[in-house]
Formats: sequence, structure tokens, C-alpha cells
Amino acid sequence: MVKIKVKINGETYIREVEENRTLLHFLREDLGLTGTKEGCGAGECGACTIIMNGKSVNSCLVLAPEADGAAIETIEGEAKQGKLSKLQQAFDKHHAVQCGFCTPGMIMTIKELLAKNPKPTEEEIRQGIEGNFCRCTGYQQIIEAVQDATGQRKEKGDLKYV
Amino acid sequence: MLCEFTYLAPKKEKELLDILTEKGPELKLLAGGTDLLANIRLGVITPTIVVDLKKIPGYNVLRFDKKAGLEVGPAVTINQLKDHPDVKKNYHILTIAAEHLASHQLRNRATVIGNIVNASPSADMVPALLCLEASVVIVSKEGERTVPLKEFFTGVKKTVLRPEEILSQLLVPEKHTRAKGGFFKLKRIQGHDLGVVGVALLKTKDEYKCGISSAAPTPVLVEGIPLNTPAKKIIDKVLGAITPIDDIRGSKDYRNFMVGVYIKRLLEELR
Repeated sequence: MVKIKVKINGETYIREVEENRTLLHFLREDLGLTGTKEGCGAGECGACTIIMNGKSVNSCLVLAPEADGAAIETIEGEAKQGKLSKLQQAFDKHHAVQCGFCTPGMIMTIKELLAKNPKPTEEEIRQGIEGNFCRCTGYQQIIEAVQDATGQRKEKGDLKYV
Repeated sequence: MLCEFTYLAPKKEKELLDILTEKGPELKLLAGGTDLLANIRLGVITPTIVVDLKKIPGYNVLRFDKKAGLEVGPAVTINQLKDHPDVKKNYHILTIAAEHLASHQLRNRATVIGNIVNASPSADMVPALLCLEASVVIVSKEGERTVPLKEFFTGVKKTVLRPEEILSQLLVPEKHTRAKGGFFKLKRIQGHDLGVVGVALLKTKDEYKCGISSAAPTPVLVEGIPLNTPAKKIIDKVLGAITPIDDIRGSKDYRNFMVGVYIKRLLEELR
């Protein structure tokens, strides 16, 4: 066991963890933060994406001991005082969520993308989320949601007007 | 679940070298972990000790010097290299190669040196690094040696590294700074995928150099191609140097064919 100290969504946690514990399992099973999902467990699907020290990473491929001293953001930190973030609202509005399993990872990846590139082109959005699989939407609604959240979408293209 | 192991994170290189000398064969070094942890999870490898390199000062060095060239430490990630302005300006072929590696999240963790020491035939960074005449510095308690990258790989997942050694530095000489080059990687899908075949071509002052991945047990370098060589001759020379196989990602014929296509496209870009 090793002792680690991590800041998650602004709150500090000090815990003893097994040395072979992944950061994903630490979040989900030790802390009960089950918003972050486990898909493939091998870095292919992106369902477990979180932001660690400002960078999006697959938490299934990080050991909890490696995260000692890190600042972590997960999907639980997105909504503030019961109000969805701008990105979450856009996902809701554009039906970018179907089964919802990819959504937490998708949101964290896009959050980091927008921090560096506040108005990504469609191509940049597609490239940005290449590490996040969505098996429901075909990605189109997700891209529209990001375009809307970044002020790049005219209402005309919305499903309501089809 | 991962197998049980002891996690060590030495804070000095000397400490790391002591651990390597004592326990080399039973430990695995951890930098980005994108390959290591996936393989531990699959049970392909079961180390009893995992040694994290990222706490060692100096291991995150990424420095360009006009005389000395580029120096890359074992903790430098693919994205750090990809986004470095000096790399983009002086070794653009490396930026292009880095853009082709995996997905954004993986590039945030995966390291440049990790891509080398894995010794995968499909390593995305290696064809471009071979073209640039990169070399690697290998250290152990016994001392230090520098090996040209083209002599580093000995087979699929096999290198000249001994259990007590670590690849502590990647050096890219200044020789080919600003040389024009390109890299194509064939994938089954547009998104994140392992390469079916990869071709890097660098136009230096007096020759073309071609690096190929996923077409032989190790990445291959073909050098000494005079600048006025017709495309067909270059393609024949490269096809003579590779030995692709049929596998789940593509056939031998498809790989050979696409190497030709990519060389033609790269020549059009560079000529």
C-alpha cells in the first residue's frame, strides 16, 4: 500500500492505495466517483477519460500511485450547484447523449480541447475525439453540440427544424 | 485487475541504476504506461516491480540547440514533442509522425522513448527518427554507450538494451534540421488505429532517406538514394529492403502496394 494525496474537482483526498490499483478503479471503487466509466480498460475507447494536471488521459492506463500530488477533474465536477455546464447543456439540447456511457469521457476530452482551442473546426473536433468511441450517435450530434457550445452553430441545422 | 507488483519511483538516476543492476530482469520501467499497463492487464507480462521514471530530475528534458540538435528525455510525451515550436520548425517530419500516433489522450501520456524501446515493428515515431539519423544514449551502473537508432532494434520487440540498462536520452543531430520530409501511415479507419504500414521520406542536402514501419520485424531505413532517382527505382529499392507479412491488419501485397503509393505521393510533395 502507498499513501497518495490527490485533488479531485477541488477537493483533497488522502488515501492508502494498493500499488497495482489503476486511477480509474481508485476513483470508482475507493472514492465512489462512478461518473467515470470503464469500457475497454486498454486505452482504446476513452470512456475513462479524465483531466489530470490539465491534460486529458485514459485513467485506466494510469496507476493511482502515479497520480500522487495531481489535480484531477472528472465529470462530477462539471455541474455546479445543480446546474449543468455549458457543454453538458449543449449535449442535452443536441441529443448528443443516447446510452450515455461514452458521455463523461467525451465531455472531459472536449473540455481539454476547448481550453486550448476555444473555436475548433469540425475537423479539429473530429480529430480531438478520435480516442473516444461512441456507438450510438454516429458522432454527428456530439459535433453539433460542441459547435453550439462554442457559438459556431446556427439554429437552422437543429433537429427541431428538420 | 493487474498482477501484484511493488511500485517504486526513484528520485535520482543513481537510485534507478542501482535498482536496475539488482532487479533488472524482474522489473518493468514505467513512463507513459500506455503499452505497459495494457499488457500487464492482459497478463502478457507480470513484473514483480514497476519502476516509475517520471520523478527523476532531467528525465523530462526536451531541448533544442542549434549546434547540438535535439535532446529528448525518457519522460517526454508525444504531445510535448508534437507541440514544441523548435521541433516543428527544425524537424517537421517528427511533428507529422507524432500527429499520427494513437489518440490525443494517449499522446498526453505515451512517451517518445517508450515508442522506441517497445520495439514494435509498427512504431510510429521510428521511421522519421531513422531518417534523421537519431541515436540513443544507454546508461547502466557500468557506464554509458551511444548507439545509432538503426542499430538499436534486433527483432520484433527486441533491442540491444540489457536488463540492467536504461535508454536515458534520444539525440537527433542538427545535420538535417529544416530538411523537408513527410510521413504517411495507412490505417483501417480514419481515427486512432495501429499502422498497416508507415512510410517516412526525408529529402536531405544530398539524398533521400526512407523509413518504413510495419513492413519487417523491425522498422527499416533505406539510405543513399540520389536526389535525381526516378520514383520507380526508389520504390523498387525500398520494396527490396522490406519483408512485410500477411496479418489481421493487411496483406503482404497490400502493404507493398501502399508503400509504392506513399513514396510517389511523398516525392510529389518534396520535389
